[in-house]
Amino acid sequence: MQKYRLAAIAILIAMLAAFPCLEPEVYYLSFMFSVFMYVILASSWNFIGGYAGYLSFGHAAFFGIGAFATAKAASMFELTPLLTILASIPAGALAALVALFVGYPCLKIRGPYFSVVTICFAFVVELTVKNIEFLGGAEGIWLKFMDIPEKLSRSILYEVMLLLMVVTLAVAWRLGRSRLGAGLRAIRSDEEVAETMAIPTAKLKIQAFILSAFFPGIAGGLFAYYLTYIHADVVFNINISILIVLMAMFGGGGTWLGPIIGAVILTVVNEGLSIFAQAEIARIIYGALFIVVTIFMPNGIIDFFRKKGGG
Amino acid sequence: MDAVLIIQSLISGIMMGMVYALLGVGFSLTWGVMHVIHISHAAFGLLGAYLAYSMLQYFGVDPVVSAAASAPLLFLVACGVYQLLIRPITRAKEVIVASMILTFGLAIILENVMVLIWNADPRVLTPTYASGALIVGPFYFQYPHLVGFGLSIVGITTIYLFLKKTYTGMAVRAAWQQPEAAQLYGVNLYRISMITFALAVSTAGAGGISLALLNSFEPHSHNLWLIYLFLVVIVGGVGNVIGTVLAGLIIGVITGLSMAFLPYQWVNLVTFGLLMIFLIFRPHGLFRQGV
Repeated sequence: MQKYRLAAIAILIAMLAAFPCLEPEVYYLSFMFSVFMYVILASSWNFIGGYAGYLSFGHAAFFGIGAFATAKAASMFELTPLLTILASIPAGALAALVALFVGYPCLKIRGPYFSVVTICFAFVVELTVKNIEFLGGAEGIWLKFMDIPEKLSRSILYEVMLLLMVVTLAVAWRLGRSRLGAGLRAIRSDEEVAETMAIPTAKLKIQAFILSAFFPGIAGGLFAYYLTYIHADVVFNINISILIVLMAMFGGGGTWLGPIIGAVILTVVNEGLSIFAQAEIARIIYGALFIVVTIFMPNGIIDFFRKKGGG
Repeated sequence: MDAVLIIQSLISGIMMGMVYALLGVGFSLTWGVMHVIHISHAAFGLLGAYLAYSMLQYFGVDPVVSAAASAPLLFLVACGVYQLLIRPITRAKEVIVASMILTFGLAIILENVMVLIWNADPRVLTPTYASGALIVGPFYFQYPHLVGFGLSIVGITTIYLFLKKTYTGMAVRAAWQQPEAAQLYGVNLYRISMITFALAVSTAGAGGISLALLNSFEPHSHNLWLIYLFLVVIVGGVGNVIGTVLAGLIIGVITGLSMAFLPYQWVNLVTFGLLMIFLIFRPHGLFRQGV
């Protein structure tokens, strides 16, 4: 069973990787690019939000830090395309470092209070970037794009994002089966008891938080390069933070598959609706979707089907 | 820096804080009593503001009258929302999470319905006295600001007296403090939850109208309002009416002072930064005592 599943996943990845060879329109590449990006964001958020139950509502901050760090490095040192793409890795590390410093005091706070601290944190980061000219300021940063045909350059970034998604999901898979994952689940169900059982809760939470900031940071760097122009309003948008949480919880927090399903469904539905309906009507249907799913599947889609299947 | 300007910005900060407190009281109650984080709370407030706008525009009805009239209307709407949407999810494993997702959806719907009806342009409430101002010595208070401030004080006092003096209000407090014990004493938790929710939404309407008297608003303003709601409620302590008021004042003072001393674009940064530090040291608010 395990073998078949692995083979199926490998085939799926290979198909996704081969997709640009079909010479699709740039629109489809961009769309898939954003699906991958949201899968990365939701899955990494899941480390801290889903497994440990610490709902961070400021994850766009890490995404934005990665985006701005990459853009700044690229424009300051006039990096070549390859180096720009690679620069997103140290940018992700920077996001992880910020997560270490912020997480240390903030992860002591529990429940909704933690969520509010993270909202504040995201605002502080956004406003700092906006107010300090060196970091980008109110104008944002332009990046020089690759000197090759558009479709080729889009395909390259598509493949890179796909690679990052595969890596993120592999880490998520490992984490779910590791001691770290088990410890985080214990924290979620009862932190006091976990502590009494000699689980180093503070350390595990920080580890999960750092990990959950790292991948969004890299994704932010790639996103910045994809857009070639970034502005604080775009990458630090609170709606991104909220969307990440919703995607993960919608699919089912604390599971491997949940955030993937949530991210794919919500991105596809959002895109689909905006093609077929007037913008406001599309948003209304989108909102109604949240309501209907929550009423009928209050614990996420995964939980709903698992119960059905398991009897 | 001149003292008049400082006091002037302090006072406008306090007025603003009071209005956020009125918006926040209901949010705090639904969260404290029902464990429902009502993301669309501010959107209902905005709906109140738009209703007042239309009443003023087409029938010349004063916003204060609209605030009084919209309260029972929103109360009924909220009863319906509770029965249809909120009650079914109280079975969820994590009610807080489920309620956040559900009411986030509701907020999206409300926002876009408002865009469809009133379009996305920024609006201001301009009652007949909009251009007038009260001048006391060197200080200058615009009438709409004073009316909004007064409205928020009346609203908060009403809620406070309701909770302290009426039988239903006491039942709400009992349900907040000891749900099981309250049930044993014959409190119907579902009914109390519905009343709490509906009451919260109707105060949101009044709060939205007060806020609209101080600031301009547009269909997505409720996002920023919501953030202030969270701040007021957390600093004040969830479910704590007096705490919410004090928190409103504190946040008002902070914004007021930073407006006087800092360039405009730094004000929010200071507010959020200070609150973040505050939360790290006092995560359960300044005052642990409840309702």
